[in-house]
Amino acid sequence: MSKPILRATDVVVEFTGLRALDGVSLALAPGEIVGLIGPNGSGKTTLINAITGQVRLAGGSITLGDRTISGLKPRDIALLGLARSFQIVRLFNEMTVVENVQAAALAHGAGTRAARATALRLLHELGLDARADELGASLSYGDKRRVEIARALAADPAFLLLDEPAAGMNDAETEALLHTLAALPAQRGLGLLIIDHDMGLMMRLCHRLQVLAFGKTIAAGSADEVRRHPAVIEAYLGSEAAHA
Amino acid sequence: MNRHLLTAVLLSGLVVLLVVATEALGVRVFDRIATNLCVSLVLVIGLQIFMGNSGILSFAHIGFMGVGAYVSALLTIPAQMKGMALPDLYPILQGIQVSPYLAIALAGVAAAVVAAVMSYPLMRLSDAAAVITSFALLVVLHTVMTNWSNVTNGPRTLFGVPKATDLLLAAGVAVAAIVGAVAFKESRTGLLLRASRDDEVAAAALGAHIPHLRWRAFIVAAFFAGVGGALWGHFVTSFSPNAFYLHQTFVILGMLVIGGANTVTGAVVGAFLVTGAFESLRSVEARLNDLKLFNDQVVGLTEIVLALAMIAVLILRPGGLFPSREIGAVLARAFANKKKGAA
Repeated sequence: MSKPILRATDVVVEFTGLRALDGVSLALAPGEIVGLIGPNGSGKTTLINAITGQVRLAGGSITLGDRTISGLKPRDIALLGLARSFQIVRLFNEMTVVENVQAAALAHGAGTRAARATALRLLHELGLDARADELGASLSYGDKRRVEIARALAADPAFLLLDEPAAGMNDAETEALLHTLAALPAQRGLGLLIIDHDMGLMMRLCHRLQVLAFGKTIAAGSADEVRRHPAVIEAYLGSEAAHA
Repeated sequence: MNRHLLTAVLLSGLVVLLVVATEALGVRVFDRIATNLCVSLVLVIGLQIFMGNSGILSFAHIGFMGVGAYVSALLTIPAQMKGMALPDLYPILQGIQVSPYLAIALAGVAAAVVAAVMSYPLMRLSDAAAVITSFALLVVLHTVMTNWSNVTNGPRTLFGVPKATDLLLAAGVAVAAIVGAVAFKESRTGLLLRASRDDEVAAAALGAHIPHLRWRAFIVAAFFAGVGGALWGHFVTSFSPNAFYLHQTFVILGMLVIGGANTVTGAVVGAFLVTGAFESLRSVEARLNDLKLFNDQVVGLTEIVLALAMIAVLILRPGGLFPSREIGAVLARAFANKKKGAA
């Protein structure tokens, strides 16, 4: 049996007076890297929050294989194999880096020793060995981002949802992150959903891109298809014109 | 050496040192102070287990100290004395008399059971709501103790609790509490609970069942509070419900806040510091009163100084003296840095 697909169907999320997601659908298969792009406020983070149970759906559904997961608590969704990072980094600040990562493995049933070994291995893979004993709060921004990724991976997820993993990283760090992330689907057979504003990174990394604007999907496809799509050009130019 | 083990050994060593120094001096009053300090250690460390790992301020702790003290008293007051000490006692309890050591352990269990039943629905709450409910819990326990005359003698003093606690017993339990708290902190439950303390949303997104983790810590904390209360009861031999209320809560919280709630080291250091300061201030107070500098007696100096010290710590060092790293980790890191510097 093949691994289940994570699927969002016609998802609607409403905040008081605002429809943040208006019928968005998305499918993510194991081994696949899907990028979610779009102007600020287009609903990208809300979609991840909806999938992982942090916000409630006003319509539509999220399924994992045959199982409906929308309506479950974040904790239960996490235990089904969905791990995530946050747009605003959420590390355990008063705990050491290794404990941060260890926590994820523990939550998924590993023993303390095994969890520590997993944590140290992942920190090594992400080039964070030297930071293992530092407190979460004392890290640089780029390091915090990488610890969050290590922490998400320690849960050994089937699907990994990363919200702006490259934000605050310099070019060299972004390049290293690209290689780490690109290798994940093959290494671990996981499905990767990424939000980021670094278009260079997204175009090179993602197998497929989906573009959101005002809570709706305006385009989807390969990097080239998306780049040339008139609705995408308009959304981005429009938003840049608004910034200017 | 493993740094957690190092922490446990160093902190226990401090307690052993206290016992050795007290025995060597052979002064009676020091013996009393040291025993009280060890009882305080059990209580503060118990509070650290819940508060330090969950990040939720709990006022209820001293209520469970009271539960322990009364349970142990009920189990140990000799049958012939019970008629006088507790005239309205239920007949079924009149004949019961067990060894104080067994009673102290059972007192811990009883406090833990009461805590488990009372607190389960409360553990979903966070922040201010959790703090206020814990305070309500203290008030409930206090009200029960003052009114359930059959078993507590009501608001009146309960006499006749057999003396069983000496310095050695109190110190032994304190060491057990230190080892227990360090082990709990590093356990699966402890580590995940600390994760929820630092970021509830992120911990839940990892799959941590936060109310359940908190509940476990609350039960373990109540166990130590019960044991501490029983130890204290068998030390002072007579007490009333007021012993387990706001004043004691303030002192124990003060010790933990000054030392640093997030670490066992902080709990231990806080208990030593505050006890030391209290005893010196008390003697200053006595001297002042002897000199008759003022028309009235000088009282309450200790509480005022503790309050000021708490305020100072909260302003200058909000996490307390040991805010995030245990003494074992501090030393291990210092040693590693030195080695790196030499190489």
